[in-house]
Amino acid sequence: MTLKTRQTSGTPDLLQGTLDMLVLQTLILGPAHGYTIATLIAQRSEDALQVEQGSLYPALNRLEDRGWVASFWGTSENNRKARYYRLTRAGKRQLTEETSRWQHMVAAIARVMRPIEPERE
Amino acid sequence: MGFRRFVRRGWLDAERAREMQAHLDHHVDDLIAAGCTREAAVREARHRFGNPTAIREEIYEMNSLPILETLTRDLRYSLRMLRKTPGFTIAAVLTLALGIGANTAVFSVVDALLFRPLPYPRPDRLALLQYHTRTPQEGDSRQTGANGRMWMAVRDNATTVDAAAVGGTAGVNLVARGQAAYVQQQRVAAGYFHVTGIPPFIGREFTREEDVTGGPAVVLLSYELWTRVFGADPGVVGQAITLRGEAYTVVGVLPEKFPITQRSSFTAGQGVDLWTPLRAATTGEGGGINYAVVARLHDGVGWAEARNDMKRLSPLAFRSVPPDTIAELDLAPMQAAMTEGVRQPLLMLWGAVAIVLLIACVNIAGLLLARAVTRTREIGTRMALGSGRRAVIRQLLVESVVLALIGAAAGLVVGWTVLSLLGQLGAEVFDLWQPLVLNGRAVAATLAIALLTSVIFGLVPALQASRLDIQAALGEAGMRGVAAASNRWPRRLLVIAEVALGVVLIVSAGLLVRTFVHLRDLNPGFDDRDLVTLSVSLQDARYRDPVAVQQLFDATLSRMRAVPGVEGAGVALGMPYARLLNNGIRRVDGRHTDPPNEGQITNMTYVTPGFFETLKVPLGAGRIITDADTASSLPIAVVNQAFVDRYYKDDDSVLGRHIASGQVTREIVGIIGNTQQGAAGWGDFGPISPLPCVYVPVSQTTGPFLTLVHTWFQPSWVVRSTTAADALVPQLRQAIEAVDPQLPIAKVSTIDDLRAERLAAERFMMWLVAGLGFLALVLSAVGIHGLIASGVNERTREIGIRLALGATGRQAMMAVVAPGIVLAGVGVAIGGAAALAASRLLRSFLWGVTATDPLTFGAVIAVLLAVAVVASVMPALRVLRLDPAQTLRAE
Repeated sequence: MTLKTRQTSGTPDLLQGTLDMLVLQTLILGPAHGYTIATLIAQRSEDALQVEQGSLYPALNRLEDRGWVASFWGTSENNRKARYYRLTRAGKRQLTEETSRWQHMVAAIARVMRPIEPERE
Repeated sequence: MGFRRFVRRGWLDAERAREMQAHLDHHVDDLIAAGCTREAAVREARHRFGNPTAIREEIYEMNSLPILETLTRDLRYSLRMLRKTPGFTIAAVLTLALGIGANTAVFSVVDALLFRPLPYPRPDRLALLQYHTRTPQEGDSRQTGANGRMWMAVRDNATTVDAAAVGGTAGVNLVARGQAAYVQQQRVAAGYFHVTGIPPFIGREFTREEDVTGGPAVVLLSYELWTRVFGADPGVVGQAITLRGEAYTVVGVLPEKFPITQRSSFTAGQGVDLWTPLRAATTGEGGGINYAVVARLHDGVGWAEARNDMKRLSPLAFRSVPPDTIAELDLAPMQAAMTEGVRQPLLMLWGAVAIVLLIACVNIAGLLLARAVTRTREIGTRMALGSGRRAVIRQLLVESVVLALIGAAAGLVVGWTVLSLLGQLGAEVFDLWQPLVLNGRAVAATLAIALLTSVIFGLVPALQASRLDIQAALGEAGMRGVAAASNRWPRRLLVIAEVALGVVLIVSAGLLVRTFVHLRDLNPGFDDRDLVTLSVSLQDARYRDPVAVQQLFDATLSRMRAVPGVEGAGVALGMPYARLLNNGIRRVDGRHTDPPNEGQITNMTYVTPGFFETLKVPLGAGRIITDADTASSLPIAVVNQAFVDRYYKDDDSVLGRHIASGQVTREIVGIIGNTQQGAAGWGDFGPISPLPCVYVPVSQTTGPFLTLVHTWFQPSWVVRSTTAADALVPQLRQAIEAVDPQLPIAKVSTIDDLRAERLAAERFMMWLVAGLGFLALVLSAVGIHGLIASGVNERTREIGIRLALGATGRQAMMAVVAPGIVLAGVGVAIGGAAALAASRLLRSFLWGVTATDPLTFGAVIAVLLAVAVVASVMPALRVLRLDPAQTLRAE
């Protein structure tokens, strides 16, 4: 399923849909609000994936619309009001699919990208 | 994106804003905890986050359905624009409502009468018997109906159809279960219900053995009578009832709302309560064309085959056809044959209403064009601000559709109202096969027309406007000294068309009104004030003998004459304004005589002594009928002046001449003045005319004659009294009841009622066309008003300059008013010419007025011009209130 998203924000080289997958993956640990999700993605990638934080929200809107996450207002660890997201059952299914597809792709790319051995004569 | 999120997107956006703020706050908290200053923390958090507004916009757009989004926006904008110009909106909606309403209503009537299939199973297989004659003198003639001989030829020999004859319907007296009731009886041949395809639901229909002279007296009941009088008793079959004083056995009951076949002559439009066998004969009723023959084609038989079958039977059906004459039986599809009489007026009506719709469309077009002109600037501004051409067109389109839909909704209300009105007015004019309902197809069709009109004319200016030069449009504000004339031409043509169409319709209406007034005001030929008539059915076994009838008349009349205030009373078979019996007579002697077996057709009615005196019909010569004219005295007749004029031209001694009718030869003893009579079917006579008429004393009639005419006509008592009808009628009823308690009164009418009844069709047509004409007038006025009003708007600045340069208000006003009046003049001229052509089609509906009646044409032209002047002057009055200084400063 393709959906119109403007590539105005977000890391340009982040593949379309990958951000969605990352968000779902982050939420497997439990409900989190937007800032936590952004921070977690940055931390777990050891700051390799520097997502422009605002671009998270269109993704969350899309995920919620598809029914993969659900949201509720709660109070954060800082005692602030925050909107929390949790993974839905459909979201978990989606994550499993995405993960295996991702692994297949990574493996395929890895095979292509394996260093070419010099030709033997 | 889902529809739910689309609807909630405003709320979702607010949520998102709060959520993002929370995100920033958390980030700032963390950064401060990490040792940043608050300012630096806020800056860093914002930097990392990106542009919140852009993100919100992105999300908002994700959540919207693009088509719905723009549609809602256009819709809102359109409604706002329509609200801002209430004058335009009301005019347009009213125009559409009236146009659509009138059209759907009239089309629903046309459809119900002409197009909707007959309410019998497989109606396309039903036919009516017709006969076609061609004589050297009179040419071709095709008639629906049959006499006894024709019916028997078909009944006994047809191989391709099942056929059944239907006789007339007449009111009779029924006594059953201790109740007396006046009911409508129709006589039908055996097999009639089989032919219609609707058999009795209890019992059976008549057999051939019952449908012969002297056969068993049997009767079928309508569902309605069965429930009303017999309490829906399923055991009614086999029970005896008394009809016309004779015992009849019930053999069956028809299902609810059985559709009646009428022969359309004497009793059109009445329901039928019970049926008895027809018992056709070749003499009496069967001697004339008094039957309708309904036929159903056998399965697999084509129309050509069935028609040939009828043609084959022609020699059996016609006696002694002269060698140069053709007389053939034929079949016509039942629906076409039944609607022959109403087809022309209905189609005319439809034409009239189509003109109204046309005017309405022209009006809408004009209004939209005018609006486009005034909106050029608005559209220019919008395009200058970056609105695309498509967006502008789309928005104007939405506006047109919204307008059309509001108009259509209002039109449905109008249509429904008009339809119920038509139903009431038309009930006495048309045989309605089925209840009138607003026709779905008509609604759809008119809605489509309205939509199409508003879309086309909403778009033409839209296309024009969107192609417009933005700079010129905006710049025009300053240069609007003299508005360009070219773009006003389409509207001017529309106004001309509107006025012209209006003239056609209003002239037609005027001619019909003149006809109606002429017919209503015809000299009755007697003193028509202070008269009451009561009619009673004498289709009764006890009154088959002239002596019994005479006794009844004498006894009741002497009682009525004894009622205080009664100046006179009499009985006649037919009253003035009624249709009378058509009878053949032969002139036996004098200047003009008819050979044996040939004769002239005349109206005939029997009367009692006192009839002429009561009506105060002036006596021309000789004497009137008196008590001395008895069964044993010399048979006499009194004829009217029209009879003398027609049949005794240049014969100066009509008194004493003899006329023969049947076996009786009568001496003409008196010439009486003409009275108006119903004249349907009488050649060139109008619907009511002073027809030739022969009056005979009831005492000198025969039993068979009375029995026959009483199946068709109910004699009427006529009483002259200055007592108010409310007080008088009960006493008159008593007079009849005292003599015979089993004779219920069929109807009480004044002369005005009788006249109104006769003119029902004319009144119906007149009101309808007059209503449509009025509508056309209003719509034309709206159109002209709109044109001038927008002209004034466009030229405000020009007028301001003129006023500033010294023109008087009157001069400035003339400048804007003149085009309206000139256009109306042109429209009237074109319309007048068109009306001259159109009124020719109306000719067969006009009486006492020519199709080119100068008075009508003159009046219509005057009225339309007057309306044009008023409609032009009203908006122009604004000019007088203009302050030149302000006008010039305004832009």
